[in-house]
Amino acid sequence: MLKMTHLQKVYRTHLIETHALRDFSIHVREGEFVAVTGPSGSGKTTFLNIAGLLEEFTGGEYWLDGVDVRGLDDNARSKLRNQKIGFIFQSFNLIPDLNLFDNVDVPLRYRGFAAADRRKRIEDALTRVGLASRVKHYPSELSGGQQQRVAIARALAGSPRLLMADEPTGNLDSLMARGVMELLEEVNRQGTTIVMVTHDPELAARAQRNVHVIDGQVTDFEEEPRMRGTEQHAGNRQSDLDAMSAA
Amino acid sequence: MFNYYLQLGLRSLRRNPVLTTLMVLGIALGIGASMTTLTVFHLMGSDPIPWKSDRLHYVQMDNWSEDNPYFDDGRPPDQVTYRDAVALMEAAKADRQAAMYKISMPVQPENPEVKPFLALGRATYSDFFAMFEPRFRYGGPWDRGQDAQHARVVVLNHATNETLFGGEDSVGKSVRMDGVDYTVIGVLGEWNLRFKFYDLTNGAFNAPEEFFMPFTTAIDTKKRASGNNSCWRTPGEGWDAYLDSDCIWIVMWVQLDSAVRRAEYLSFLDSYVGEQKQLGRFPRALNNRLLDVNAWMEDQQVVSRDVEVQVGLAFAFLLVCLINTIGLLLAKFTRRAGEIGLRRALGASRGQMFAQYMIESGVVGLSGGLLGLALTGLGLIAVRSLYAQYATVAQLDWSMVATTIALSIVAAVLAGLYPTWRACRVQPAAQLKM
Amino acid sequence: MEIRPIFSALMRSKVSMILIGLQVALTLAIVCNALFIIGQRLDTMQRPSGMNEADTFTIHSIGFGEDYDVRSVMNADLALLRGLPGVLAVAPINAMPLSNSGWNSGLSIEPGQRNSTANTAFYFTDDKGIDAYGAELVAGRNFKPEEIGYFTMNDRRPPRVTIMTRALAERMFPDGNAVGGQFYYGDEDNDPATVVGIIEHLQAPWVGSQNIDNVMLLPALLPYGNSSNYLIRAEPGRRDELMKEVESRLAASNSSRILRNLRSMQERRATVYAEDRAMTIILGTVIIALLGITALGIVGMASFWVAQRTRQIGTRRALGATRTDILRYFQTENFIITTLGLIVGGVLAYAFSLWLMNTYQAPRLPWYYVPVGFVCLWLLGQLAVLGPALRASRVPPAVATRSV
Repeated sequence: MLKMTHLQKVYRTHLIETHALRDFSIHVREGEFVAVTGPSGSGKTTFLNIAGLLEEFTGGEYWLDGVDVRGLDDNARSKLRNQKIGFIFQSFNLIPDLNLFDNVDVPLRYRGFAAADRRKRIEDALTRVGLASRVKHYPSELSGGQQQRVAIARALAGSPRLLMADEPTGNLDSLMARGVMELLEEVNRQGTTIVMVTHDPELAARAQRNVHVIDGQVTDFEEEPRMRGTEQHAGNRQSDLDAMSAA
Repeated sequence: MFNYYLQLGLRSLRRNPVLTTLMVLGIALGIGASMTTLTVFHLMGSDPIPWKSDRLHYVQMDNWSEDNPYFDDGRPPDQVTYRDAVALMEAAKADRQAAMYKISMPVQPENPEVKPFLALGRATYSDFFAMFEPRFRYGGPWDRGQDAQHARVVVLNHATNETLFGGEDSVGKSVRMDGVDYTVIGVLGEWNLRFKFYDLTNGAFNAPEEFFMPFTTAIDTKKRASGNNSCWRTPGEGWDAYLDSDCIWIVMWVQLDSAVRRAEYLSFLDSYVGEQKQLGRFPRALNNRLLDVNAWMEDQQVVSRDVEVQVGLAFAFLLVCLINTIGLLLAKFTRRAGEIGLRRALGASRGQMFAQYMIESGVVGLSGGLLGLALTGLGLIAVRSLYAQYATVAQLDWSMVATTIALSIVAAVLAGLYPTWRACRVQPAAQLKM
Repeated sequence: MEIRPIFSALMRSKVSMILIGLQVALTLAIVCNALFIIGQRLDTMQRPSGMNEADTFTIHSIGFGEDYDVRSVMNADLALLRGLPGVLAVAPINAMPLSNSGWNSGLSIEPGQRNSTANTAFYFTDDKGIDAYGAELVAGRNFKPEEIGYFTMNDRRPPRVTIMTRALAERMFPDGNAVGGQFYYGDEDNDPATVVGIIEHLQAPWVGSQNIDNVMLLPALLPYGNSSNYLIRAEPGRRDELMKEVESRLAASNSSRILRNLRSMQERRATVYAEDRAMTIILGTVIIALLGITALGIVGMASFWVAQRTRQIGTRRALGATRTDILRYFQTENFIITTLGLIVGGVLAYAFSLWLMNTYQAPRLPWYYVPVGFVCLWLLGQLAVLGPALRASRVPPAVATRSV
């Protein structure tokens, strides 16, 4: 799904060179739930930006879902990002002047789906995260946990191949955080690959496998994914989600 | 606290020069345009003789043809006939009265170095000077006796006295005009007339008179008026028939010192016209009017339509500038939401924040006003070059300067009301997280 | 095109939208009406006078002294001037176009009419008048030298033959056959006058007159007291030198008179329309300033919004928007605001025009001003927003992942 080999990112400002990533390699297979961990300043965010096609890199190779990303121009990267990747940000990044429907709609519009198709996807996505009843509400009327769920709905509405999550529970209290993590695990169980960047080891533990980054390089790289037990508690999960919606 | 807010305001303005420049410039342009046009409008329309403008009245009688009115809207003609003017002067029923007309005479200076020139003057009665109060530098006006005697006297204006006699006291000296010698009886000082409000129908904004002479004496020369002359039927041949005709070419003012006197004079006019009707004149219905100075100025539209449109336009422009400023202030204050939250957290009340930002708006207004004043000065220079004849009414006086600054500060404060209110609604806590 | 979500988002910050919209509205209303007024003034100022204005000038002579014989002076002056090299034509006149000063009166088709058939300006001149004015004789004939009379204000002998402008002739004789036509003017009981010639066009002196195209030439020298006026037409290119020559020769020939008002017709045109020209300049300046302020307002507001929404822009890019998508977003937003403002502005423009019509009897604003104004202001708005919108499009997607 996501394969980086010997990736390099150098920031040059005037006379100073910063090596944010050096010889970074990672291989995420389809259906995996990988956590990328490391202390602050380790280059996690840079990795996220590059993996999410938000930034270019200065050396090495990057293959996303079989596509060689090197040499793609800005428009091509935007399109690829739009089709393949769903983003979840630490500070939710919902657009405050739009209601939930229009917020989830944003990436779909850039995809070019027809109106009826978009409406169905939005309703399905919001239902999936348990917020279909609040579709006309605005982000300022929701709690942090609910906002992040909307962001997840937004990320999922376009049926992405890969979900990239940046500290998804960083701005949430523990109750809401648990709900969001359970939702992510559910999404992963249903087949979506997830790469999550976090500095919280407890959060990282919930992923199938961890990749540790220090000073722009990968350490603790595990070739074989550790299998994690999956339990289907459909009924409980539903009521849990309802409880989350009310939070 | 006011000083503190003042300093804060100034500092904040300095910190963001582009935004500040846009705001100050916007206000300055709007103020400059508005005050330029308002100055001209104000000076054109303002009372030229406020201490007696309600006592001086313009006489109008309708001797026009019964087939057509003089003005389409039925107002009486704007001048009177020789017969009627002389009759009114002789009746002397007002506190003061002066008939007058514009004349021009060639002046033949004694000094061979000064070439003969055509001088523009006014033929009038002695009461003119008491009524309209030009100041005399030397000598004084002629008296009613000299009117009756057709005395060959002349009052010179300041500039003509300079030309002919080098500015010295020329009372008693002789001036030759069109082959006849006249004795100088008085010389006027500088008369700061904005325009000749006593003769609105014959070029009020033209140059002021270079000489004055008795009406009766001017008639003796048999020179026709250089002002407007209108007849509804062709007069008979010859000068005497012209004087006797229904052609209107004379301006008539009376001074009536109270409302009672005004009513009396109006009824006198009515009965005079009634008598004339018996003689077969004045075929139209009774239509006498006695408008005072300001009413007559309004009737004659001294403030031209163009000037009115310009004032309206300038203030609409000011409105757009203000809306612009509101937007810029809104942007500025919104960006400072963090500072507002911080100050509130540190103990500032809403009222104090309001005061701080209102004063900041006021500082913008003051800067805009000062720059706007400079622009107004420039604007008036432009007006003087575009409208040569309006040089006297396109001048900044102190009341206009004060108005400019005050208008600018008020405008900026008004513009700042909404942005300030919005900014002060900010909850301290929400801003501190950022 | 994502018009609906952009519109919904705009509705959440109505105030900023209203501020820009109002500026646009007021600008449209004012600019349309101001442009119309400018157009009217320009039309007025460009009206041809019917005269040759490039080569002609006038000079005014006022004699003094009891012995001044204005008649013989006039004859001597005319002879002198006509002998000067470079002179094409000289005529004695009492009035000319573009001067706001002259003589007018009514003409009647039947004697004793209560109301005149037409009102016209009277131009007293001799048989060289048509040449000097530079008018074009299109029917009938010029005056003959023996028809030229002489009279004064106190001693009138109204001429019995006249030449009319085409406009006046059509008014007096609507069925045609103006040449040879008869009419009455002056005293009630006298002989009729006859039209012997028609000139194409000559303006009356007063530029604000309703009857500005009505002019009647009368064959007579008519001094006003001791003053006489001469109209001189020079050979092309020689006007300025001839002006000096004429003044010095006339001054030398007679010292009992004052010579003044040596002015070219071109100068007279500039002076008489000075107020209209001033109004045009003032209105033009205000139009430019208004457009500038409004454009700056749009730039300022849009820049502010871009700065405020940097995070949102980054998020959109992260979600798949291309640079062009972001550019279009801001352009569309501006288009919506501008359009709403323009609709209000259109209503305001017509309201303002109505008010001008009622207060100043101004003509109605032609229909095409507002639509053209729409297009121009749309363009202005889009141009103004281009800078900030381009800046927005360059916000990098990585902004979305930056910590706050």
